[in-house]
Amino acid sequence: MYEQPRRGLETRLVAVGILLVVAWGAVGYRLTIVQGAQAEEFADRGRSQWLSSQTLAADRGTIFDADGRELAVTVDAVTVVANPTEMPDRGEVAWRIAPLVGRDPGELYEAFQGDTHFVYVARQIDEAIAEPIRQANLPGIHFLVEPKRVYPLGSLAAHVVGFVQTDENRGLEGIELQYDEALAGTPGELLVERDPNGRVIPLGSYDVVPAEPGSDLVLTIVSEIQYEAEQALADAMERTGAVAGSVLVVDVETGEILAMVNAPGFDPNDRATLVGDALRNRAVTDVFEPGSTQKIVTIAAAIDSGSVTAATSFDIPERIERHDTTFEDSIDMLGPHTVTEIVTNSSNLGTILIGERIGATTLHRYLDAFGAGRATGVDYPGEPSGLLRPPEEWCATTCLAGTSIGYRVSVTPLQMAMVYAAIANGGVWVQPHLVREVIDGDGASRPTVPAERRVVSSETAHILLAMLEAVVDRGTGTLAAVPGHRVGGKTGTTERYDFELQRYSDTDVVASFIGVAPIDNPRVVIAVVLDSPTNYASGGKGAAPVFSRVALATLNQLGVPPNAP
Amino acid sequence: MVARSHAGLRAVPLRGDFHVVIGPHARRRRIAHWVLLAITGCVLFLLLVLSRIALDRHAFVMEDLEGAISTEEARYWDLRMEVAELRDPARIARMARSLGMVYPDDVRVVSVPGLGSSGFGIEERWAGLKLLLSAQP
Repeated sequence: MYEQPRRGLETRLVAVGILLVVAWGAVGYRLTIVQGAQAEEFADRGRSQWLSSQTLAADRGTIFDADGRELAVTVDAVTVVANPTEMPDRGEVAWRIAPLVGRDPGELYEAFQGDTHFVYVARQIDEAIAEPIRQANLPGIHFLVEPKRVYPLGSLAAHVVGFVQTDENRGLEGIELQYDEALAGTPGELLVERDPNGRVIPLGSYDVVPAEPGSDLVLTIVSEIQYEAEQALADAMERTGAVAGSVLVVDVETGEILAMVNAPGFDPNDRATLVGDALRNRAVTDVFEPGSTQKIVTIAAAIDSGSVTAATSFDIPERIERHDTTFEDSIDMLGPHTVTEIVTNSSNLGTILIGERIGATTLHRYLDAFGAGRATGVDYPGEPSGLLRPPEEWCATTCLAGTSIGYRVSVTPLQMAMVYAAIANGGVWVQPHLVREVIDGDGASRPTVPAERRVVSSETAHILLAMLEAVVDRGTGTLAAVPGHRVGGKTGTTERYDFELQRYSDTDVVASFIGVAPIDNPRVVIAVVLDSPTNYASGGKGAAPVFSRVALATLNQLGVPPNAP
Repeated sequence: MVARSHAGLRAVPLRGDFHVVIGPHARRRRIAHWVLLAITGCVLFLLLVLSRIALDRHAFVMEDLEGAISTEEARYWDLRMEVAELRDPARIARMARSLGMVYPDDVRVVSVPGLGSSGFGIEERWAGLKLLLSAQP
C-alpha cells in the first residue's frame, strides 16, 4: 500500500534532480563560454564602454633653408567654434561676433540655424584676433587649439616648399607633398576612463602612447640667392612682357639646387593666391623645345665621339633644305667656320652639318646620356620625363636636322640646367636635389646622396667650356657678362609650339640662357627661361641679362672672388 | 579478578559542571592584539589618505608646470617666427636700400698686381690698395 507514493516521490525527486543538473550544466556551460571562449570579447566590450581613445596629433616637421632659416613651421592657432543650441539669441551672437572675425553677420546667422551643435566661426586665427572674442564672453562660443602651418618668408621659395591642406595639415604641393610622410610623424593615442557622461574619471585608467614628431628637412635653397633670383626674374618679366618664367641655380659639383624660381608665384599663407597657373613649378614640370641651348649636346656628341674637334672647319651654305623644310641662320654665316665659331654664333646650319656627320644613333645616345627623355629624379612631385623618340622612329627627312638644333625634343628647364651642370662638372652628371638632409625626431640626420654618371670625358667638357665662354665674350650672349668674373653660356630662342593651332607660332618664342660661373672653375649653373616675351624676345637680349644679375649675386653670396683678367 | 569497592569510585561530574577559567593576564593579551590591529589599521588608513593628498598636490603642481611649459613653448615658437621674419632677405634688402647699400650701376673691377702673394713689397702694395679703396665714393 505504501509503495506507490514512494515511487511517485522518487520519480519527482529524480526529475527535479535531472532538471537541476541540466540547469546547472547550462549555467556552467555559459560560464565557460563567458569566462573562457568569449572572455576577451566581453572584456573589450566593457573597455570600449568606459575607455575613451583620443588621438594625439604629431608635430609636423619644420622645413629649413640651407642656412637654418625657417621656411615652414607649425604653430598653435585658435579656432573659434559655436554651439548654437547654447545661444539664447542666435541673431545677437551672430551680429556681435561677425565683425570680430571678419564674416558676414547674415551668413553666420544662417549657419547657426538648425539643431547643429558645432559650427566653425573662424579657423586658425592668431591669439591677438581671438582675444577680443574671448573678452566678449558670448554664449555658445568656444575655442579650440589647432596646429597651423605658417610660412615666415611668405612667397620666397613658395613653389619649392609648397603648402598643406588646412584641415589635416597634409602636404598638397611641393616639398610638403613629396616628404609628407616624413614631415607628418606618427600620431599618438591617449586612453582614459570616462563616466557615462563623458567626463574623465580622476585617477582612473590612464595610458598614453606618445606621438612621434615629424622629421625636419634642411633644403639646399639659399634664401639670399633665391631672393635675388626672384627679383631678377620679376624685373625681367616686366621688362620683356613675358607671361611666365623660371630661373634655376644649381651647384655643379653636388647637384644641390640653390635657387628655384617661377613666375607667376603665390603666397602659401594666403589661400586666395593658391589658384591656377601660379601654382605650377615650371622649372620642374613644364616641358619645352630647348632650341639652341641644346646645340651644345650635338657639339659634345661630335667632339666626344671623335668626329670633330674645336678647330674642325665646316663650309656653311646659305641655307639647308631638307624635304619640305628650309633651315637658315639668323646671321650671315656663309663660308668656312670652325666648330667654336659655330657655337659662338649659334649657327643652325653649322650645327645641322655637325649633327648629320655624327648621325642619329650617336646623337640620340648622347641626348639620352645627358638626360633627355628621362626624369632627373629630383625630389619633387610631378616631374615629367620629357620626350626623346628612339632613333628608329626619327623620320629620314628633317628629324635629324631638327633634333640637332634643339627641336623634336621636349625637356624641362631643370633637365637642361643639368646638361650644362654635367659639362661644368668635368663631364659628370649629378642628380639634382632640393633636400640636403632629413633630421629625424630623435636628431638623427640622413643626408641626401645623389646619383652620378659620366656623360662625356673631362677633356670634352673642358673644350665645351671654352666654347661657352666665347659665346659670352664675342657671341650671342654678351649681355650675360658678369663684371669681374669669367662666365660662359648659351643662348636659345625657340619658336613656341601652339597646340591649338597644331603648328609653331609666328610670334611667340621661348627665350632662354643657360650659363656657367665661373667658367675656369665652375661653381654654379644658372638657367633662365622666359615664356613668350614681347620685348627683347630672344635669349641673348631677354634672358642673358637675368643670368648676369643672378650670377653676380650668387658668386658674391658664395664668396667667389673675381677672376676676370 | 580484583574486586573494586564502590567507595573508590567517584561520581562522573555532569557536563555543565566543567568550565574554563581565564586569568586576567590572558584576557589582556587577547584584547591587546585587537587593539593593536585597530591602531595599525587606522595608521595605515591615515597614511593612505596622506599619500593620496600628496599625490593630488603633486598632480596639481605638475599640471601647473605643464601649463607653464606650453606657454613657454608657444613663446619660443613666436620668437623663432620673429627671428625668421627678421632674417627675411626681402626685409634686409629693403633696409639695405634705405641705407644706400646697393650695387652701383657701373661696377669697376680693381686689379692689383701681385695681390694675394707674399714677398718683398707686400706692405707697400697693401698701403697703395688702402689709399685706392679709401678714395672710392
